[in-house]
Amino acid sequence: MDGGIPRFVAPTVLFATLAISLAAALALGSVTVPLRTILDVLRLVMRPGDTDISTLPRELRSAYAILYHIRFPRAVAAVFAGGALALSGAAVQGLFRNPMAGPDILGISAGSSLGAVLAIVSGFAALHPLAVPGSAFLGALAAAVFVYLVAAGRGGTQLLFVILAGLAVSSILSGLVSAVLIFAEEHAVSQFIFWTMGGLEGRSWRTVLPPLPFIAVLAVAMMGFSSPLNLLTLGDEQAHSLGVRVEILKVGILVSAAMLTAMAIALAGPIAFVGLMVPHLVRLLTGPDHRTLLPYSMAAGAIFLLLSDLIGRYAFRPYEIRTGIITAIIGGPYFIFLILRYQRRGSA
Amino acid sequence: MKPVLSAHNLSYSVGEARLLQDVNLDVNPGEVVGLIGPNGAGKSTLLRALIGFIRPEQGTVRLHGLPLSGYSARERSRQMSYLSRQGPDQFSFRARDVVEMGSYAGLRWGRSPGTREREAALHALEQVGLLKLADREFPTLSEGERQLVLFARILVQNAPVMLLDEPTANLDIGHEHTLLRMVRTLCDTGRSAVIALHNLNSAAEYCKRLVLIESGRITASGRPDNVLTRTHLERAYQTDVRIGQNETTGSITVNSIPGPGNRRNLKVHVIGGAGSAVGITRFLHRKGCTITGGVSHELDSDAKFWAALGIDFLQVPAFSEIGEDTLTLAAGLVREADLTILCAFPFGHGNAANLDVAEQAHELLILDENAGLCRRAFFGDAAELERKFRRLAKTWDMVSYEEACDYINSLTSKVTVTVTRSGG
Repeated sequence: MDGGIPRFVAPTVLFATLAISLAAALALGSVTVPLRTILDVLRLVMRPGDTDISTLPRELRSAYAILYHIRFPRAVAAVFAGGALALSGAAVQGLFRNPMAGPDILGISAGSSLGAVLAIVSGFAALHPLAVPGSAFLGALAAAVFVYLVAAGRGGTQLLFVILAGLAVSSILSGLVSAVLIFAEEHAVSQFIFWTMGGLEGRSWRTVLPPLPFIAVLAVAMMGFSSPLNLLTLGDEQAHSLGVRVEILKVGILVSAAMLTAMAIALAGPIAFVGLMVPHLVRLLTGPDHRTLLPYSMAAGAIFLLLSDLIGRYAFRPYEIRTGIITAIIGGPYFIFLILRYQRRGSA
Repeated sequence: MKPVLSAHNLSYSVGEARLLQDVNLDVNPGEVVGLIGPNGAGKSTLLRALIGFIRPEQGTVRLHGLPLSGYSARERSRQMSYLSRQGPDQFSFRARDVVEMGSYAGLRWGRSPGTREREAALHALEQVGLLKLADREFPTLSEGERQLVLFARILVQNAPVMLLDEPTANLDIGHEHTLLRMVRTLCDTGRSAVIALHNLNSAAEYCKRLVLIESGRITASGRPDNVLTRTHLERAYQTDVRIGQNETTGSITVNSIPGPGNRRNLKVHVIGGAGSAVGITRFLHRKGCTITGGVSHELDSDAKFWAALGIDFLQVPAFSEIGEDTLTLAAGLVREADLTILCAFPFGHGNAANLDVAEQAHELLILDENAGLCRRAFFGDAAELERKFRRLAKTWDMVSYEEACDYINSLTSKVTVTVTRSGG
C-alpha cells in the first residue's frame, strides 16, 4: 500500500478497534462493569492457581462472577467464531476467484444443521453441553468431505463441480433436516429453530475452550496460503508456472475453511453473512492483497461479531436479540448495497 | 546444440478427444518457436503440457535434459515462465501488483516482495510502455493493456524459457510488434520462447521456426518458408490462402482470400502490365468470371498476382519482346474470351504486340488512365504505337474503372439469367 495511506495505519486501527470492542463487550450489559474492575478481574484471572470467589473483596465478587463465567467466554467465542468465519470467507473467495463465494458453497450450513437437529431430537443435547456444537461440527465436516469427494475427479479439483456438488449435497441435507423435524416433538423443533438463528448466549468455558487451539493452528496455516492465493488470481496455469502447487493449495484451503467454519458454527451456531461481508468490506478498505486481506479480515470478523453480539444484548435490554439475527439484519441490506454498486459499475 | 526444452512422444486425451498425439518438439537456446494451427488444434494443450500443468498419458517433457517431473515447482518456475490471458479480473489488484507477481518465483519461501521487486515491476511496465498505468486497477484496463501487463509479469519472472499462449491476441499492430520484438530480443541473448500465434504474418516475421499443429498432431515443422505453404495452410485452416512476400520486410505473408464467387459463364481476357490489371482482376475474380491474362513479363506485378490467384496467363521473360508463338497463343485466348479488357499501362518494344492482340477481341473495354496505377505512354516507335492505339480507341469505348465494373455486372447478371432459363 505504498502511496496514499501508510502501511501501519490499517493494522493499528484494526487492533485499536478490536481492543475497544472487547472492552465494550466486557463492560456493557444488563450490569455495567467499570473498566478498572475489569482490569482487576483480569489480574485475578491471570494469577496462577484457582480463585476462590469467597476470598474476594465483596465489590469484586459479582463482577468476577459476571466477567469470568459469562462475558469472558462469550467475548472469546465471538472473537474466535467471527475471526474464523471471516478468514475462511476471504480465503474461499480468493480460491474461487469470486468475491461472492463463501464456505457455505461446501454444504457446511446444511451439514451442521443436520448434525444439530439429530443431537436435539435424539436427546443427546440434554446430556452434555458439547452435544449440539459437537454434532453440528461433525455434520458440517462430513458434508464438506462428501462434497469434496463428489467434486474431485481425475485430473484435479474442478471448482465448478465443487459448487454444483455443494448445491446438490445441501439440498439433500436440508431435505433430511425437514424429514427429521416432521417426526420431532414440538419442543425439539423450537429448540432447533432457536439454534439455527445462531447466538452466543450461555457460553461457558467448557463449550468455548475445545475449538480454540484448532482455530488458532488453522488460522496460521491459512495465512501461509496468502501469497499463493494472490498468484491464483492469474488462473490455475499461470499460478502453477509461478511455482504454486495448485492442487495442494485448493485442497488445503477447502479443508481449512471447512474446519474453521465448522468450528465457528460449533461456537456460535450458524451465523449468517460474516464470511461473505467482512472480507468484502476489508477488500474495499485495504485492497485485494491476500497477505493483508486474510489477517485483517480475521480481525474485522472478530470485531464485527463482538459488536453484533453487544448490540443484540445491550440495545434492547433487558431483552436479548440473537447475534445471528443481528448479523443477518445488517448483512442482508449490505448485500443489496453490493449488488446495486456492482450494477452501477457494470461488473462484478 | 542441446535443446533446453524437449517433448518426446507426448499424447494426451480428455475422454474420447485426443488432444495431443505423439508430439515431438525440441526447443534450442536462442530460438523463437511459433506454434500455429487452427482453433482447437492443440496449441494451448501443448503449452500446458510443456509447463507441466497437465500430465500427458504418454511421453516425457525434458527441461535442460532432465525430466520435468524431477523439478520442484519452485525450481521449474525459475527456469520456465508461462503466459495465458487470464488475469485477476475479479479483484482490483493494481497493474504493478500483477507485474510484481512475477517475482514470487525468485523469492525464498515465506518472503514478500520488497523494494527491489517493486522497482523491477515498474521497470517491466516501462518496457511495455504502460508505466503511466502502473497504479490503475487491473480490471479497469482494456483487454490489450491487460495482456501487456501480464507480459510484463513474464519479464519480471525472467526465466530462460518462455511459453506464451497467444500473447498478441488482443493487441493493436503497434503493441503486437513491440511485444514480439521484445521476445526476439530476449531470445537473441540466449533465452528461448515457444509462442502460440494466430497471426501467421507475425509468426513468419518473428519466429525462427514454425510448428504447425492440426488435430493434436504436428504436421509440419521447420523454417517459416517451408511451413507456410499453400498446401499446408489450406489443409489446416480449410480456406483459400495466398502466400506472398512482404515488399518492405521481405518476410513471408499469408493472406486468406475469399473464394471466387459462383462460377459465371463469362470469359474475360485481361491485357495488363506493371500492376495495371490488379484491381480489375480482383473484381472479375470475385464475380466468378473465368479469367485469362497476358501477355505479361516475368516478375511483373500483374504476373505475380495472376499466378497467386491461379489464373491462366501468358508471359515472356523479363524485358524481352513478345515472340510470334506467344502472340498466337494470346490471340487464341482473346478470341475465346467474351470480353477483353485493355488496362492502362505504357507501351514500348517489349509489349507492343499486346496492341495487336487487343485487335482480335470480340468486344474490348479500354480502361482510362484513372483506373490503374500508371499512365498510358508510348516509347520506342512511339508514333506507330500511338496510331495503333488511337485506332482501337476509335472502335471501342474508353471507360473508367467504375464503368467497367458496371458493364461487367450487367453482363454477368444477364448470363446468370440465361443460365437459369436454360436450366429451368
